[in-house]
Amino acid sequence: MKTLKLIYFNIVFYTLFLSFSAISIPVLSLFVAFLSLFLSHRNTMKRIRITIGWWALGIIKIILLPVARIQYKNRSEINILGPYIFVCNHRSFSDGFLLALPCMPHECIQIVNTWPFKIPVIGLIAKLAGYLSINEMPFDEFSRRACELLRQGVSIAAFPEGTRSADKKIGQFHSSIFRVALQVQCPIIPICISGNENIPPRRSLLLHQGIIKMHKLPCLEWEQYKDLGAFKLKNKVRDIIAKELAAMEDVA
Amino acid sequence: MDKQEVIDKINQVFEESFEIKKEELLPQANIFEDLGLDSLDVVDLVVALQQKFGIKIRADQRVRDIRTLEDVYKFVLILKSEEKKPLK
Repeated sequence: MKTLKLIYFNIVFYTLFLSFSAISIPVLSLFVAFLSLFLSHRNTMKRIRITIGWWALGIIKIILLPVARIQYKNRSEINILGPYIFVCNHRSFSDGFLLALPCMPHECIQIVNTWPFKIPVIGLIAKLAGYLSINEMPFDEFSRRACELLRQGVSIAAFPEGTRSADKKIGQFHSSIFRVALQVQCPIIPICISGNENIPPRRSLLLHQGIIKMHKLPCLEWEQYKDLGAFKLKNKVRDIIAKELAAMEDVA
Repeated sequence: MDKQEVIDKINQVFEESFEIKKEELLPQANIFEDLGLDSLDVVDLVVALQQKFGIKIRADQRVRDIRTLEDVYKFVLILKSEEKKPLK
């Protein structure tokens, strides 16, 4: 019975997901293409990134509804302007979509691994929007591009663990994005996601029903971390996220 | 400089530059998985070791092969011994 229910909800989800994407992606693409006739390249890129954010919000707020309930807590009082560096723990493929919730309405790109670029259509759009594949370039190139984006006012979302953790334990952080933060003096916003370990689990596309908890933590301003090196900064942010996750899961 | 002095100085680098607690500095500790360094932090480590020991460290294969704290000790000890060898 449980298996049948699981299969049913996955059929519902993927049917809705594919239908929603098949309609919304061409419509939104045409809309942005039309706007680009009247806008500068910079403003067109901004529209593309914000449109991706709205599309992802549609997925997690409507399409994901039969599978997961999201409990979102915003503890960050930030102004709308930005840019910010959003740093999040990483347990599931769905994290990339879920980040739309704390990142919107900011114009935002994500730091991704190589494989998301290989997803049909979505990978191409991500590439077009300027998402950065950290494994495809040396650090200097990554740093140059990330700094340029932040200086243009584009926020960046990153998963410094680099890969999805196999269990609930938070992995060691890579320092790349923190070196960029130090260089550009950009505020950092830690994000914690818990409960989506099985939505879907690692190496699977099967979504299990559950409650996803998501906390957007207070912003770490440059003045608060300027005296730290990249190693200490990454571990400070890691500790903040780890403590919050422990509290979130203890309550659960 | 004897082996223990080299080990103490390297441990000092980890404590001062990376704020890693003394009790975590075990010879078998993996510098990536246990101590949390990444490839960019290793560059910072190399710079800190160069300053601490006044030696020149090239980014060669031996640096890339370092995994544990014991490897770091051995690596610096080899460099120090090479330094002592007279030039032919």
